[in-house]
Amino acid sequence: MLQAQIIRSNTFRRALAVTGAFAVFVIVLFGFIYWQTDQYLIARSDRMIARQLNVISALPGERRLDAIDEHLRQDSRGVQYAGLFAADGRRIAGNLEQFPPELKMNDSVQSLSVVRTLPTGRETRTIRAVARRMPNGDALAIGREVDETREISHVVGQALALGLLPAFCLCLLAGAWLSMRAQERVEDVNQHVQRIIAGDLRERLPHRDVDDPFSRLAAIVNGMLDEMETMIHALAGVGNDIAHDLRTPLTRARLALERGRTNATTMEQLQAVADKAVANIDQSLTIITALLRLAAIENSRRSAAFGNVPLHELLREVCDIYEPIAENKNINLRVEVGHLLDVRGDRDLLLEAVANLVDNAIKFTPEGGKVDIELLLGDSEAIVRVSDTGPGISEQEREAVLRRFYRSDKIRSTPGVGLGLNLVAAIVKLHGFRLVIHSGPGGRLEIICPDEQMREERPWLADERKN
Amino acid sequence: MTKVLLIEDDSETAEEITAELADRGFEVEWSADGIEGLDKARSSRPDAMIVDRLLPGMNGLAVIESLRKDQVRTPVLVLSALGAVDDRIRGLRMGGDDYLTKPFAIVELVARVEALLRRPAESRDTTLRAGPLELDLIERTAKRGDRVIDLLPREFRLLEYMMQRSDQLLTRAMLLEEVWNYKFVPATNLVDVHMGRLRHKVDGPNDVPMIHNVRGAGFILRTGP
Repeated sequence: MLQAQIIRSNTFRRALAVTGAFAVFVIVLFGFIYWQTDQYLIARSDRMIARQLNVISALPGERRLDAIDEHLRQDSRGVQYAGLFAADGRRIAGNLEQFPPELKMNDSVQSLSVVRTLPTGRETRTIRAVARRMPNGDALAIGREVDETREISHVVGQALALGLLPAFCLCLLAGAWLSMRAQERVEDVNQHVQRIIAGDLRERLPHRDVDDPFSRLAAIVNGMLDEMETMIHALAGVGNDIAHDLRTPLTRARLALERGRTNATTMEQLQAVADKAVANIDQSLTIITALLRLAAIENSRRSAAFGNVPLHELLREVCDIYEPIAENKNINLRVEVGHLLDVRGDRDLLLEAVANLVDNAIKFTPEGGKVDIELLLGDSEAIVRVSDTGPGISEQEREAVLRRFYRSDKIRSTPGVGLGLNLVAAIVKLHGFRLVIHSGPGGRLEIICPDEQMREERPWLADERKN
Repeated sequence: MTKVLLIEDDSETAEEITAELADRGFEVEWSADGIEGLDKARSSRPDAMIVDRLLPGMNGLAVIESLRKDQVRTPVLVLSALGAVDDRIRGLRMGGDDYLTKPFAIVELVARVEALLRRPAESRDTTLRAGPLELDLIERTAKRGDRVIDLLPREFRLLEYMMQRSDQLLTRAMLLEEVWNYKFVPATNLVDVHMGRLRHKVDGPNDVPMIHNVRGAGFILRTGP
């Protein structure tokens, strides 16, 4: 099982491939050396027989026979060939039985086969030979058997066997070892990961030194796990908040129903109890609806249905809607639109976002205060600003207000679900806009809408329509 | 008798809806899955339908689509646990049908079914009348008897909507959707504040009150005594 895994592993396969390539390279190299050496030896042997031919042919007639005999006698290995033939083809001296018919009389060394008579019988040998016609008409042939080639191939074969095979085995072993080590690390990591999957969020991958790529990978994954652990805890916190916020109205409803069942004696009393219970259940449903809506917006993509939204009209509309409410609370609600700006977006969602900001501003501004809605033109962006004379959002609270269910201690008594700014943030993010919360005194929130297509339309009308 | 077809797979919800509608004088037929519901819609020709969006067999929107293909124009109220951030729902509303997110108050459901059944007929009249009230849709002026009522544009639209549906319960959510074009319920009691102002203008100190607040439900513009 483990062996099969090692062989199948990538590391091992790569080691095998490298070993194979190495072996091919070495064999080609040895082949080249063999060929080169062979060439060199043949050339040397050719030079030798050419010199021999020169020496013997330069001798006077009678000395030639002695020189040939001497030459053959000195050849202990039996590789030398020589022959002196009369013009009619008769052999005068030497160990060649006859003048080889294919041998040309032109001083150039060539390969040819000859038959040699030995005590063991007749054998055909491949030799290098050269021939020349003497001044008296005799033909002199000198040859040499190139047996070194065989020796070289023997040496090369041995070198291959002694050098290459162990190297090949070493490569395989190294591959197997590396593969096994990788396998072990993977198994190790797997065990830790299994523990994480099983729910142990504090488990981390093992890592030793920093230079090992495996350890570096483990460190990166650990960093990711740290981040995820934090996020999961944060989510769990949100879950607790939701549970708490839902439990409060449900507990009230339950108490009302329980008491009503025991104590109510008239229809009217029972109805009052039911109304109270329904109101509290509605409150929990409102929370759930808001959460689902928030999730739906957060999960939706930039829609193809985005259209041109004239922000100036949108702000006026929000002002129209909230004007009576502000008046009831004796708050001065004003809208100031200095520019006519269009952005691309979902009109309903943007209306909801701005309405939420204004709703909040009116809610948290004490009586006699002021709420301003403004449309400003930035460098390449439209800015919707909602400012009020309420307590504002302090530096410390800026992060917190975007948390779900966060309600400032100062405003605990004001009714609300505490998801309004989350919704605004989600809508703003969906559009690729930015929500900027300025710290107090006085609330000031801005939706910054960068838009490449944004254009200022009919600026001359702006002043006219302001009234 | 007005016939309503209810296609809803949760029997408990279906029972409650059936009981409430029966109390209000409707004849209710119930079907628990989409395919059977579609058959019933074709055979019994109801006046209105209430269709759950998630149904076994065939999804609610598919049921409606296939009815519309057969040129059946029965108004439909779609019920769904899904949120309303959906283009198909917008399409539904534009097509004269309505959409209600679960969970809902039973009065809300009844009010919407009634509204579907009593959709105002297309009228070429430029003057709208309800009891002593009179709206000139061209001049954008309003009168109660001989008294001229001075209305802001939004108040005019609100009164126009209410007069088209006089003597009908209009819930806050319906008003928000139709008059304010809001697809969400704002935290503040917007509708009440606006309605308070409108009532102040419409019902003078010596008049018989016309705009009535139905506790926990919404508002009615009553034309009769």
